[in-house]
Amino acid sequence: MSGGTVDRARAMAAPLGRPALAAAAFVVLAAVFFAVIGRNPLAMIGVVLEAAAGDSYAIGESLVRATPILLCALATALPARVGLISVGAEGQFYAGAIAGTGTVLSMLPTPGWTMLPLMLVTGALGGMVWSLVAGLLRTGLQVNETISTLLTNYVAALLVTWLVYGPWKNPASQGWPATVEFPAAARLPALFDSRVHAGLLIGIALAVVLHLVLTRTRWGLVLDVLRSNPRAGLVAGLDFRRNALIVMALGGALAGLAGIAETASIQGRLQSDIAGGAGFSGFLVAWLARNHCLRIIPLSLLVGALLASGDGLQMFAQVPSSVTLVIQGLLFVAVLLVNGWLDRKRPA
Amino acid sequence: MTSFDIVFGSFLVSALRSATPLVFVLVGETLVQRTGSINLGVEGQMLVGAMAGYGAAALWGDPWLGLVAGAGAGMLLSSVHGLLTLAARANQFASGLAVWMLGFGLSAYYGAGLVGRKIEGFGTWRGAGLDDVPVLGPIVAGMTPTVLLALVVAPAVAWWFWRTRTGLVWRAVGESPEAARAAGLRPIRVRLQAILLGGLLSGLGGAALSVDHTRTWAEGMTAGRGLVAVGLVIVARWNPWWVLPTALLFGGAEALALRLQTADAGVSAHLLLTLPYITSLAVLTLTCLRDRGQAAPAGLRAVMDR
Amino acid sequence: MHLQLRSMARRFGANLAVDGVDLDVAGGEVLALLGENGAGKSTLMKLLYGVHRPDAGQITIDGRATRIDSPRDAMASGIGMVFQQFSVIPALTVRENLALAHASTPWFTGRGARRATAGLAPLAAIAPEVPMDARVSSLSVGQMQLVELAKALQQDPRLLILDEPTAVLGDDEVRRLWSLIRGFATRGLAVVLITHKLADVTACADRVAVMRRGRVVATGAARDLDANDLLRTMVGERDLAAPSTAPLPADAPTRVWIRDLSARGPGNRIDGVDLRIARGEVLGIAGVSGHGQDVLADACAGVLSPDAGEVIVDGETLFAPRQREPRAGRVAYIPEQPIRNAVAPDLSLALNLHLDRLDTLPAIPDRRRLEADARALLTRFDVRPADPGMAAGRLSGGNLQKLVAARELRGAPALVVASHPTMGLDLAASAFLYHQLFALAQAGSAVLWISEDLDDLLRHAHRIAVLHRGRIAGVVPADQRHRQTIGAWMTGHADAEAA
Repeated sequence: MSGGTVDRARAMAAPLGRPALAAAAFVVLAAVFFAVIGRNPLAMIGVVLEAAAGDSYAIGESLVRATPILLCALATALPARVGLISVGAEGQFYAGAIAGTGTVLSMLPTPGWTMLPLMLVTGALGGMVWSLVAGLLRTGLQVNETISTLLTNYVAALLVTWLVYGPWKNPASQGWPATVEFPAAARLPALFDSRVHAGLLIGIALAVVLHLVLTRTRWGLVLDVLRSNPRAGLVAGLDFRRNALIVMALGGALAGLAGIAETASIQGRLQSDIAGGAGFSGFLVAWLARNHCLRIIPLSLLVGALLASGDGLQMFAQVPSSVTLVIQGLLFVAVLLVNGWLDRKRPA
Repeated sequence: MTSFDIVFGSFLVSALRSATPLVFVLVGETLVQRTGSINLGVEGQMLVGAMAGYGAAALWGDPWLGLVAGAGAGMLLSSVHGLLTLAARANQFASGLAVWMLGFGLSAYYGAGLVGRKIEGFGTWRGAGLDDVPVLGPIVAGMTPTVLLALVVAPAVAWWFWRTRTGLVWRAVGESPEAARAAGLRPIRVRLQAILLGGLLSGLGGAALSVDHTRTWAEGMTAGRGLVAVGLVIVARWNPWWVLPTALLFGGAEALALRLQTADAGVSAHLLLTLPYITSLAVLTLTCLRDRGQAAPAGLRAVMDR
Repeated sequence: MHLQLRSMARRFGANLAVDGVDLDVAGGEVLALLGENGAGKSTLMKLLYGVHRPDAGQITIDGRATRIDSPRDAMASGIGMVFQQFSVIPALTVRENLALAHASTPWFTGRGARRATAGLAPLAAIAPEVPMDARVSSLSVGQMQLVELAKALQQDPRLLILDEPTAVLGDDEVRRLWSLIRGFATRGLAVVLITHKLADVTACADRVAVMRRGRVVATGAARDLDANDLLRTMVGERDLAAPSTAPLPADAPTRVWIRDLSARGPGNRIDGVDLRIARGEVLGIAGVSGHGQDVLADACAGVLSPDAGEVIVDGETLFAPRQREPRAGRVAYIPEQPIRNAVAPDLSLALNLHLDRLDTLPAIPDRRRLEADARALLTRFDVRPADPGMAAGRLSGGNLQKLVAARELRGAPALVVASHPTMGLDLAASAFLYHQLFALAQAGSAVLWISEDLDDLLRHAHRIAVLHRGRIAGVVPADQRHRQTIGAWMTGHADAEAA
């Protein structure tokens, strides 16, 4: 019994010690980087904080950045529950944006109240279909899902570029490649009189629901077993393929939803490069949260704020916004370093 | 000389030139995976290689220095992957993505001042009297030094890998690190060497791309070539001998896309650009269909199957 | 060489695997290190060979204190080891494997290491018939072991450690190995032979050291020792109420029919296996490992879909091509290597005990009830610690095996498939598991029991079927008189049946 007590004590202490250590490592790495590029680390950290959460506008922009990251993190965490490493949220995001935009464009002359729900549903379906390509390749032919999702990401992004330069280009927009502007009926309701939209609330609600489903239900247990030991799951008669396809499909739907919500409510039209790395930031967040859906909520806000601070850095400190990409990478490195180090005694 | 020769010859040259950066990356990643690691960070290593190479070439005016700087930068970044996976035993896929993000950010940051700069690139051998040699003449004349380097590096590494003692040691480590350790070898050290060599070669590939193939630098310019390489290693069945033909497949798809684009075949350029990715995924799928991952080194299967 | 080990100790988690061992070995002698599974023999030798590091203790070689941190150090000190789990690399050729470890292999080895000639002599001396350029994966287990042995001999060791070398060999191969070992000692090598078989001791050992629970409990000259005394020393003063199976009535009806079953697994297959198991019968499957045992077990438990044939239980076809009925409650399955095949290591014991019946739980399971159910089972099957919330991966090997037994053997299954169910268990735990298994048989289950331990099979099974290259070479009643026949079948000499 004492073994179990020690386990529990350690399990309770770990969530406190781990983030603290990772945060410390991250701050050190970031400070070293700022020093290397010849900036005063303390001053820069001040600028980042200011730009991320200094006033209500900054907070709003942070929340805007966080919304797609939150959904994409959930889209990564779900497949991870059966041990799949999907990096496809970026591509699913674009696929969702394409499918949802298609719905909007086809309904255009007479947008009714059905436009918004139909757009969201088809957006989710688009992401789902895209994700199932990698899912089927994995379950049917053993094609590694990490590699296939990374490759299909590029294809989806190019499809968007093709559409906005070609068939879906708004003829009135001169040289600017984009679709026509979406009607107001396609926008999600805004929050607090800012650019923040209801997608954030949908994301938070989905995170909570998913957390409950994954931790409280029989299905959650099935996924846990398949992740822990697929072979034991097979011996116990569990169906890896079916469950892997279900989580890939649901994950894709979430990223697709992120894509169409961003297109409709933030950009107002479909154009190239709208994901802006949200899929990859989502992957990072899911990894930071160790695929725990509740932890994903604050962590996506944090990473969203970090990225939103890039614009401020450019403005106030004349530092290129690409600095935030480096910082994001350093955050990932710090977390992997600390987690790997703490877990290295665990049998491989 | 028939017109077919000319068309085919010039197509082969452009396929070779497209494939060249990939050959370096693919050789490096093959060695990495052969010793039992997988490094998705090659994409980021290519980017820092491309940026550093372009910067060095612009600064010193010598493309060869560009290649050296690119290789060095790639190797430096790959040491992060070595540290994370070998010392801290982090998940290899996650570590690779972290290296990618880091490389993307670093190359974008340091490369910001290079956008739009002009460099002195390599010349070809056109007009050196080779053009009149039948069949092979125009092909060789259209090459640049990096193409020749790639044509030498791939078979040289393959020869080293299959015919030398150290090659044997690397193969043994990839098949079974435990057995290698029991035989008195040092698997961790070998894996680190492979990751660093892979970093060097992917940096070189990135530099070949920016300094020679495109002669420009742009943020994120590798456009997934490194990730394509990770997949094509499987297509090449982890065998350095197969690297050249496999890389030519990608190069051919890219050259075809460009050819169709300039021929104005009525298909959008953006759609054509998806060809290399779709081709890679398709041949990857066919490979997996045929041998279901059984051809992988045993040490790597442990990483991939999880 | 004179080797002295003093106060060697090593702990794995809560388990004190080696507990203050003193041991001496001299050149020219064969020391048999005897003990049951889990007594600490292999761990002790792995401390000496640098595979694990000792927590305490001192190694002295020829009077000089020596520190050994890795197999490399051990080799440099003149120690060679042949592992129980082979360290030859299946994907490489024999020549490549030998060239790999040899110091004077040239820089340029040529294709398939054909130019590497150094280091081939030991294999040519002990087994000239092994093809040098064949991949190791294509060799028989006996040949692999000879390659392994040749690899150890390459380094010209002065001390050679052999870990259970006879466990996987046929009778002829065992005799050849014994004479090789005697030859090494004659040439002045010190040999440590790890074994749990008394036959090995009588055939080739000079001295015996017996280990029990991490300690050396007795040493002595091999010829002075009485077999019964040795056995008692190995096992300790425990009451070993030997488990036994009840005699099978002659008219026991067939309960399970494995009809003409063919299936393929990774690198292994079975072909037209046809077996009937009666109500209450324990049918043993003997054979050298790697001849299709794992495929047979998986196919009979419905984990692997067969290519042809069917598994009929109580007159109903459960598993056939494209047909798979749920096995829960009807077919119990204890696969080999439970940590790999039957346990989700980072999930709780409670969940692991319900793994085979997750689909019968309510959509939102009540964790408290799961834990209460689990606690009762853990106590009944003596899994320690009996903490339902603990992650299964933290259990020791023996307790893991008991955990799987607790899950699979709790009901009244029609068919029990047990693959090496006592591997890694000490004698008391083995006896406990056999009691459970045979009690089920007595209550009417049909038991398919796969084992490499022919002695155990002969002692407890009703009949023994021999699996060779995926086919049933023959079936005989479990009786010492058929030992020779079984051995012949196991090594592929089907014509010896007449003898």
